[in-house]
Amino acid sequence: MITPTLQHYLVVSGLLFCLGLLGVLARRNLLVVYMSLELMLNAANLALVAFSHFNNQLNGQVMVFFIITVAAAEVAVGLALIVAIYRKRQTAHVEDLSSLKF
Amino acid sequence: MNYMELLGALAPEAIVVLTALVALAVDLLVLRQAPQNARQVVAVSITAVGILAAIIALSVAAPSPPWMDGLLINHSTTAFLKQTLLVLALVAGILSIQSRFTQHTGEYVTLLLLSTVGMMLLVSSDNLLLMFVALELTSLPLYVLTAFNKESPSSSEASLKYFLIGSLSAACLLFGISLLYGLSGGITWTQLATTLRAGSEPIVYLALILTLIGFAFKVAAAPFHLWAPDVYQGAPTPVAAFIASGSKIASFYMFARIFMAALPGTAGSAAWSGATPGWVPLVAALAVVSMILGNVAAIAQRSVKRLLAYSAIGHAGYALLAILSNTEQGMGSLLYYVVTYAVTAMGAFAVVNVIERDVQAPNGESLTDFAGLSRRSPLLSLCLLVFVLSLAGIPPLAGFFGKFYIFIATAQSGTSQGLIWLVMLAIGTSAISLYYYLQILKQVYVVESVGQPTPVQLRPAESACIVAMACTVLILGCAPNWLINRFSPNSTEVRRAGVITKPSTTLELAAEIHPRITAPLGTATGLVQKRPQFETTTANAQ
Repeated sequence: MITPTLQHYLVVSGLLFCLGLLGVLARRNLLVVYMSLELMLNAANLALVAFSHFNNQLNGQVMVFFIITVAAAEVAVGLALIVAIYRKRQTAHVEDLSSLKF
Repeated sequence: MNYMELLGALAPEAIVVLTALVALAVDLLVLRQAPQNARQVVAVSITAVGILAAIIALSVAAPSPPWMDGLLINHSTTAFLKQTLLVLALVAGILSIQSRFTQHTGEYVTLLLLSTVGMMLLVSSDNLLLMFVALELTSLPLYVLTAFNKESPSSSEASLKYFLIGSLSAACLLFGISLLYGLSGGITWTQLATTLRAGSEPIVYLALILTLIGFAFKVAAAPFHLWAPDVYQGAPTPVAAFIASGSKIASFYMFARIFMAALPGTAGSAAWSGATPGWVPLVAALAVVSMILGNVAAIAQRSVKRLLAYSAIGHAGYALLAILSNTEQGMGSLLYYVVTYAVTAMGAFAVVNVIERDVQAPNGESLTDFAGLSRRSPLLSLCLLVFVLSLAGIPPLAGFFGKFYIFIATAQSGTSQGLIWLVMLAIGTSAISLYYYLQILKQVYVVESVGQPTPVQLRPAESACIVAMACTVLILGCAPNWLINRFSPNSTEVRRAGVITKPSTTLELAAEIHPRITAPLGTATGLVQKRPQFETTTANAQ
């Protein structure tokens, strides 16, 4: 039985972040893209909590509470935008958003 | 510290939030059945009263020490920037009177004011937590405002692109923040500055890159600019104007603060020979790409709003030069530049707003809609002339001195003037930019309009705003010292955090760089006479 160290937490959070980034860049459904964005935010949360624990401080953990709240507000705005788009275009796919171009 | 003192320090922000709530309540509870125009006038009047009160509260507030271990700082520079932001928000409100993009006036004004509060807090924040929360408070209302035109399909599409790219950058920024916190063990600028040093751990560079990506998105620096043209074109014009002006001021100030004040130990160098790793070479790369891409891509644009977006990307490149100079002088020149740019961009968008209403184009106006404007409205064309020439950097307008100060600060900052290559590139790209700026003026003054020229309908409040902004651009260009001196003693925080600055010999260096250009310019614009004043204030600030 190994006790997890800071490195372990950081590796997991780094992996989560990369997974989220991959999802945002590669997936085509807007809802999946949103979930990937949340994954990226939660990767940062995990890193903050881990750092906070191993630095013996509370700063990082307090920050996580703020980030969770902000993330919830962000998703609310994002879902409202999907609804607005869907009413106009009957689609929730990234590649259909191409009326504005260079 | 008690809560009354905190309320005192946050009084301007509290006033703006209250104004937002009052405007929303009045619109929803009292004026639900009133005609659209009356609702807009009432909402903007309430906004004007609240903004005036907040500006007065800012001007009487005494500079306070940092609150709560550096959570919040207030000094003369933050107060001035907040006042500028408030004025810009008011202008954006006035521009939206009589526009037909929305029926939800109360919500519109409330979101505009909440975004302004976010920008005000961003300017005041001195640590990572408040910075992130304020950044999100700025962005979220702007996403919604961009989507406010429900009739136009491009509005919601632009908003969704803005949201996706903005959230992605926020997530990158947040991961960068968490690494910075973990490496330094602190969240205030002072704690970060004392612990983070280049070369200690490779992961520092990852943190720097992620933080930089977050801010590069916010200020629309290439290659993270993809949202800007779509948002400027798709958003309702007053909203686009506010994104181009207010959000730029707040983001650039925070960009400069976090890198100059919190991360001076990891700066590195971008000198042509002997570059060292750090954030300065990264910012230099962003600046180079932005200046070239923004100015070249703008040439191909047919929509004026899109053209202004690419020009904004180019301007972001110039402003990044001031950040990478990493000196107090650079900070002063950056603030002069972004404030004057914000006023100019707001003015240009205000003119576009009038034209757009006039031609009734749902998907934005094109360059040809400006044909023959000088015969239809001489006043409007004159103001547009001032704004466009200032954006192009023609003396004696404010845009010229903004670039001038930035180029000098950059050239002076590197060891043995190693950053001259960046200044050369910047001068070259501003020469390119003249082409597309003159394209606009060619349409206005040379090309004949199609059919009989009819006068453009201007509302008094709107034309007063446009003329006032044109006068501001002209006055700030003729007397730049008034503004730049306000920013000279600002950087006590920067100094405290250990940024080393050099004695300022502005004009001597300018003469060294362009001996032939400076002499006649200096005498023509009165810069030479004002020179002693400028130098003593910067010298005092050292």
